[in-house]
Amino acid sequence: MLTTLIRGKVAFVIKAISLALITAVLVMLTQSAFAQEQYAIALFLAIAIILLNYTYFSKKRVPLKFFLPGILLLTAFVITPILYTVVMSTYNYRTGNYISKEQAIERIKALAVESDANGTAFDIVVGKFRGEFALLASDINNSSYFISTVSDRIPLDPESLEIDEIGVAQSAPDFIPLPPGKVSSSKAASLRFKYEGEYFLTIESLNVGVVLRQTLEYLQPTDQFRSLITGALYSDNGNGNYANVDDREEILEPGWRDPAWFTNFARLVQDERVRTPLFSVFIWTVVFASLTVVTQFAFGLLLALALNKPIRGRRIYRSILVLPYAMPSIMSILIWGGMFNTEFGAINEIIGRQIAWFQDPTFARVAVILVNLWLGFPYFYLVCSGSLQAIPSELLEAAAIDGANPRQVFRRITLPLLLQILSPLLIASFAFNFNNFNLIYLLTGGGPKQQLDGEIAGATDILISYTYQIAFGSNIQDLGLASAISVIIFIIVASISLYGVKRSKVLESFS
Amino acid sequence: MTKWLRENLWRHITGVIMCLFALFPLYLVVITSFNETGSLKITSFIPTDISFANYRLLFTDERIPYMTWMKNSLVIASFVAVTSVVIGAASAFAFSRLKFKGKRAGIQVLLLIQMFPAILALSAVYVIMERVYTFAPGIGLGTQAGLILIYLGGAMGVNIWLLKGFVDSIPTELDEAAKIDGATAVQTYWLIFIPLAAPVLAVVALLSFIGTFNEFILARLFLVDMESRTVAVGLQQFIGGQFSENWGPFAAGSIIASIPIVIIFLSLQRYIVSGLTAGSVKG
Repeated sequence: MLTTLIRGKVAFVIKAISLALITAVLVMLTQSAFAQEQYAIALFLAIAIILLNYTYFSKKRVPLKFFLPGILLLTAFVITPILYTVVMSTYNYRTGNYISKEQAIERIKALAVESDANGTAFDIVVGKFRGEFALLASDINNSSYFISTVSDRIPLDPESLEIDEIGVAQSAPDFIPLPPGKVSSSKAASLRFKYEGEYFLTIESLNVGVVLRQTLEYLQPTDQFRSLITGALYSDNGNGNYANVDDREEILEPGWRDPAWFTNFARLVQDERVRTPLFSVFIWTVVFASLTVVTQFAFGLLLALALNKPIRGRRIYRSILVLPYAMPSIMSILIWGGMFNTEFGAINEIIGRQIAWFQDPTFARVAVILVNLWLGFPYFYLVCSGSLQAIPSELLEAAAIDGANPRQVFRRITLPLLLQILSPLLIASFAFNFNNFNLIYLLTGGGPKQQLDGEIAGATDILISYTYQIAFGSNIQDLGLASAISVIIFIIVASISLYGVKRSKVLESFS
Repeated sequence: MTKWLRENLWRHITGVIMCLFALFPLYLVVITSFNETGSLKITSFIPTDISFANYRLLFTDERIPYMTWMKNSLVIASFVAVTSVVIGAASAFAFSRLKFKGKRAGIQVLLLIQMFPAILALSAVYVIMERVYTFAPGIGLGTQAGLILIYLGGAMGVNIWLLKGFVDSIPTELDEAAKIDGATAVQTYWLIFIPLAAPVLAVVALLSFIGTFNEFILARLFLVDMESRTVAVGLQQFIGGQFSENWGPFAAGSIIASIPIVIIFLSLQRYIVSGLTAGSVKG
């Protein structure tokens, strides 16, 4: 056997070489992460390097040898995102409040500009003048030319310039044009070049420079913005925005993400526009998950009972019946979506009606349940068949001898026993369907949607698809609120599943 | 009414009805894939003329890199399946057999994090990979390597949990005997556990494979290039994206993509079902 051959020194050499290689790659990544100022990631990688080398060269720490790779992956891609989401649930993290406060201040400063009364603009060439970034500006109407650096504006004599046929200066003494491809990525793109007084010149596009002036200035000591035009003051409103001190409704865009503590959670209860849709979505989620489990289980059990005897063709039945379970579910869901199409869908064709399945809330819900039944009954057929075999036949025989008819045997003995055996699986299935995002997202997209006052909850939206809409939807994206709902979903699903686990006593072996 | 009829008629009726229900959409896909018009409309239940145009389109049209999509899906899913089982098995062994501080807490954390609605941690995953992209474009956002890393992280919880259930069911006498003979934990793992667990490792790898093959949301968010897409994302374009309502090629592509999965599933269904419900393999 291979493992017995590669022991001792050979094994050590292999281990050392592979560890050295992995370490080398990780060190490289750490360095570049550090260079790009991704300190959190660099720190994580550095810790990973230390842990890896310590664990695999030490004679102790045997358990850690086994689960370190798993733990590193889990930490990076599962635990960190979860913690991040939990933290985000306490932030006002939404459209208009995505960036940090420092970034927001910079953005407000950059956006707070206005052109002069005439909207003056020049044809420009971007380049360097005596080693400094500069613009070679041409006023073709007045045939006047100048070079503008950050600190200086130098009028030019048209005689000294190379001017093209429409009157734009293309080169000047001591001026070296930048290659056009480099302009937008060079520092010059964000510089303010000297013009007149408070007005400055900036690059609007490759060949056009505009004259602008600053309208807001940031006052560092008091953390306020002041309007240079009206003199109005804007201060931090504690909510991730600068607001006019006299009119708190007037805020500067963009805002920044700011701790909002439990505001997001409070909105779930207090804000009418959040509470009402959330409540109806929650009810439908529970109804959907329960109906799914009940129908899948009922049909699975019926089949398992029917095929519990070695009747002719049982193998064929079985092979056909598991097909829906074996098909990649994405494909099946999309196909069902097409079958429910109003005009050319196969379902309407067969029943000879023109039902708008996904436009009517009730029909859409029926369709969702039906498709989920198709997807899930084979699973319950398989597990019910298995469990029926596990019920001792003496029990059933004894009941029959005591005079129970088959129906009574089923209701009094088989069903209760089955429910007991399968309760962990039923609970797991409930928890899975509670978050069955793919089905809803791919089949109905959560629709039909109510178009009233911009509300985004659809009739078939379940909590997770509704939350996805809030976080990544096309209207306003509110990651803070979505994260708060995620945390609530997590608590609900975790409680259900822990109850299930307790019943199945999985954790007993650890006590 | 004979006794046979009384006993068995309802069984066959139930079986036939449910088989029809199970087969109906699948049959529809098959006839659509051979229908040139590209709509999901059924003109008749028995196709009159069979055309291979949709299949030809998938393999010849340059705008539709179907083979590349298939290859991407198979490579990503296989890599994730094998790697996550290799890493997961070691963790499962430690959680089941070795004694260490914080084991019970570890198991509980493992169970809990699986209940977090993963889709909603999406934005955080996105932000992380966006940052990774700034210093390592090869494994950041938009790359298959990055997607594989995320899948591996996501598969870890489920796989460790499934495999732990299995390791628990292997009698401890075997590794106690090995311990008395002087084997270390690492040796016990390689020489006793891995050979015994091989069939279950295969089943868990298979489930990971199917799960990854089926994954849609992350793949769509991450793989932007036409060439780097997986088959699920690529095919969805036919009916939801730029080609819009083009059911013929979608049906043909779905059938080809499903065949390997269905074959694997049908041939191993005994193991899959028993492996997941009973803890499987004895001795």
